[in-house]
Amino acid sequence: MGISDSQKMNKQSSHSAALAGLMVAAVFGLAACAWQPTLDDPDVAEQVRAPAGGEESRGLQVYPLRNPAVRELERAAEAAQAEGRLDRAESLLERAIRIESRDPELLQRMAELQLARGDWEQAEHHAMRSWELGPQVGDLCRRNWQAMAIARERSGQVIAAGQARERLGICRLEPPERF
Amino acid sequence: MTGKRRRRPPKKTSAAKRRPAGRRWWLPPLLFLSGLAIGLLGPWIWWLDREASLRFADRHLTEASRVYARPLELHDGLRLSLADLVVELEASGLRSGTTDRPGRFSRQGERLELHLPAFVFPDGPQPALRAALSLRAGRVELEGDAASLRLPPAEIGRLLPLDDRIRTPVALGDFPALLVTGVQAVEDRRFKHHHGVDPRGLLRAFRANLRHGRVVQGGSTITQQLVKNLFLTPERNLLRKFNEAIMAVSLELRFSKSAILEAWLNEVYLGQDAARAIHGFGGASEYYFGQPVQALDPGQIALLVGMVRGASWYHPLRNPERARQRRNQVLAIFHETGLIDAATRARYANAGLGLNPGLLSGGSQYAAFMDLVGRQLRADYRDRDLRGRGLRIFTTLAPSAQRQAERALASGLAEVEREPDSLQGALVLLEPQGGEVRALVGDRQGGRRGFNRALDARRPVGSVIKPLTNLLALARPERFTLVTPLEDEPLTLEIAGSEPWQPVNHDHVSHGTVPLLEALAQSHNQASVRLGLEVGVDALFRLMRQLGVEPGRDVHPSAFLGAVSLTPLQVAQLYQPLAAEGYSAPVRAIREVMDAEGELVGRYPLRLKPVAEREALALLDFALRRVVTHGTARSLSGLLPSDPGVRGKTGTTNDQRDAWFVGYTADWLGVVWVGRDDNLPAGVGGARTALPVWARLFAQLPLRRVQPGWPDSLEWFWIDWPQARLADEHCPGAVAIPFVAGSRPSDLSECIERRGVWPFRR
Repeated sequence: MGISDSQKMNKQSSHSAALAGLMVAAVFGLAACAWQPTLDDPDVAEQVRAPAGGEESRGLQVYPLRNPAVRELERAAEAAQAEGRLDRAESLLERAIRIESRDPELLQRMAELQLARGDWEQAEHHAMRSWELGPQVGDLCRRNWQAMAIARERSGQVIAAGQARERLGICRLEPPERF
Repeated sequence: MTGKRRRRPPKKTSAAKRRPAGRRWWLPPLLFLSGLAIGLLGPWIWWLDREASLRFADRHLTEASRVYARPLELHDGLRLSLADLVVELEASGLRSGTTDRPGRFSRQGERLELHLPAFVFPDGPQPALRAALSLRAGRVELEGDAASLRLPPAEIGRLLPLDDRIRTPVALGDFPALLVTGVQAVEDRRFKHHHGVDPRGLLRAFRANLRHGRVVQGGSTITQQLVKNLFLTPERNLLRKFNEAIMAVSLELRFSKSAILEAWLNEVYLGQDAARAIHGFGGASEYYFGQPVQALDPGQIALLVGMVRGASWYHPLRNPERARQRRNQVLAIFHETGLIDAATRARYANAGLGLNPGLLSGGSQYAAFMDLVGRQLRADYRDRDLRGRGLRIFTTLAPSAQRQAERALASGLAEVEREPDSLQGALVLLEPQGGEVRALVGDRQGGRRGFNRALDARRPVGSVIKPLTNLLALARPERFTLVTPLEDEPLTLEIAGSEPWQPVNHDHVSHGTVPLLEALAQSHNQASVRLGLEVGVDALFRLMRQLGVEPGRDVHPSAFLGAVSLTPLQVAQLYQPLAAEGYSAPVRAIREVMDAEGELVGRYPLRLKPVAEREALALLDFALRRVVTHGTARSLSGLLPSDPGVRGKTGTTNDQRDAWFVGYTADWLGVVWVGRDDNLPAGVGGARTALPVWARLFAQLPLRRVQPGWPDSLEWFWIDWPQARLADEHCPGAVAIPFVAGSRPSDLSECIERRGVWPFRR
């Protein structure tokens, strides 16, 4: 059982594809400095978090109210990750997820931590879960698909990685109109 | 002989002249004896000295591995009842009292003050700390700046070493000061000054015993007592006394006073729990008071110090009066030597013994869950590495949920059974997102050891299997939707090598053509078998294996009606991805394992895996909600104070032998089985017997409203129920049903004009 990539791309939007291309170029521009990123390259997570192409965030942004206990644990996890204590960071994020299992920001952090650990499968699954529960627009959406793109790229799913890159562009647009 | 040879005339005989002859007489034997002494005693002392230091160095080799519950993480807004919080605090070893000492909590109305003892968590140590919180309207409000407060976890059991001692080593610095000075005041006042043996102390003891005409004081120093505890057999004779003294001096020469005192505090014999001896104040404190030694009050310290003299004679559970007198005697000595003031002495001399026998050996209170922990650990560790190495095992159990689950099963069965104690049951409670087991009950009498039905009772699951067949059908949206008509009519199946099979419905009535959703909600057997035949038994078994459950080899279409024997834990595993919105996670009881040195040696982290049939799962989730609102589980609404959006499925097997109910909310997945151990017809039914037990538990759990986060690719349409025709909101009896995009029916109800139908969002 893997991910069934049911979300088919909206091919009409050449505009978004161009934007996505630009961002992919930006991501790999950063990666290029590091020669070929190694499996446990902690910079992978940085690539996900860096604003694409140095641009300001544009389009709809969603910042929901968050549980302060979760924020505290998340900050501690971030500090642990910065010190290279990835196991501790994972434990802290797990504690936060136990408090708020549907917090998309938290799930995305976990995805980024798993990228740093080189666990591509868990990185992809957490990013996907974050996207499903998240606003599906704005920065978080962009980070979701960027993490999925990198995770799929590294695990050799070339086509699926390409699809994830195309999805990146749609994050910029206004949210889809609901019927 | 010499005298004869050197015979002299009698007159010359004198004392002065005999002396040289006498000297010559005893010199050779003395030389001989000295040689013998040096030759034998030297090696003997050398051997004793070597043994003493070797055994002293290895004495910590065996220590029980401890198993902890999940730590409760308190934060603002957390739903928690006061009763559950108190259960959690007490399980964590806290006691009601003044909070100036760690390990106490006090409550005034809705406000609680806590003084948490220090604890080393797998992600780092947490010092002892004081905190306060309120519970308003069932929600936690923390005082102060911290956004969260983690309670030290309850110790729920031990994996005992294969030797026969119970011990909990504690570092010297972690013992209460009164205990450390108090034992010296009572047992060995000159401990700081002597060299292992104390002739003055011996003399004093001898005089005291003479005065009283019986043994009231032992002359042994703490070092000698340590030697006795560590190395020697209980027989009493002069040779043993000699060995003991030599070894005591040897230890004194080789080790510091504080190392010896620490070893003694951890080795001294302090009573017996059945076949196991309790050694050391750490273990004794937990055994008698259910508390860490740091949390003891002066009265409890005096009681344990008094027991050193004779742990069986002064055993506080068996001989409470004798123990009380001895405690007061010790309190008097503490007072005499200036360790406590008169007021403290008076207060504790009048107090009760403060006993609270917590974890008896092996911890039977959580026996069923410990059984699961043991099995999961044995998959990764060898038995001898698990026991006796002082591992710390962090698990997923919630003590408050466990308590509620045990009560729900016991009281639920007592209510429904016709003759007392005829029924048995099991209950599994998971946190579905991470697959963590929060409670496990394997017997209606909580904590009873023995047959663990949650893990070992393999019983036919009945209609609890049907959602899986439906899932496989719904994963083919071009062929099946929730409104696909199914025939609920009699059918006969020819089975190679056995009798033809004719499934019947529970109510012995066939219901004609019904929508798939209705067939599941009402659990119609004949329609379910017809649906099953389209997906195939092989596909059903394959799906079960994918979800981590082995269905067995008996590939018979009766499997569509649940003629598959599974344990309650396996059923929980099957439903976990459904309750977790399509992300499967292995059911686990363990989070982390640390070794005695505090290194993390094992982690069982959160692992998500999206199930391929996610849209079909979303449709199934909708159908299982319908079971509760309109189907076989509709009695649930009368049993819960408010329905947060429960999804569930009932199951009843042939001749009412087994009753099942599986139900989930956003935070919990519960599986209940009820039946008889002898597998006789039990007169039970899923909705009638298992569901009320489930509801009793869930009525006590904090429940959040279910907001499914299913894929956005589903489309909702109004349906002309029960016909597979599109309708709209205004049509009488129209029901909103989700469809996988593109799978909606094309026929239109007479109720609507042909102006087009649009999906809508929920």
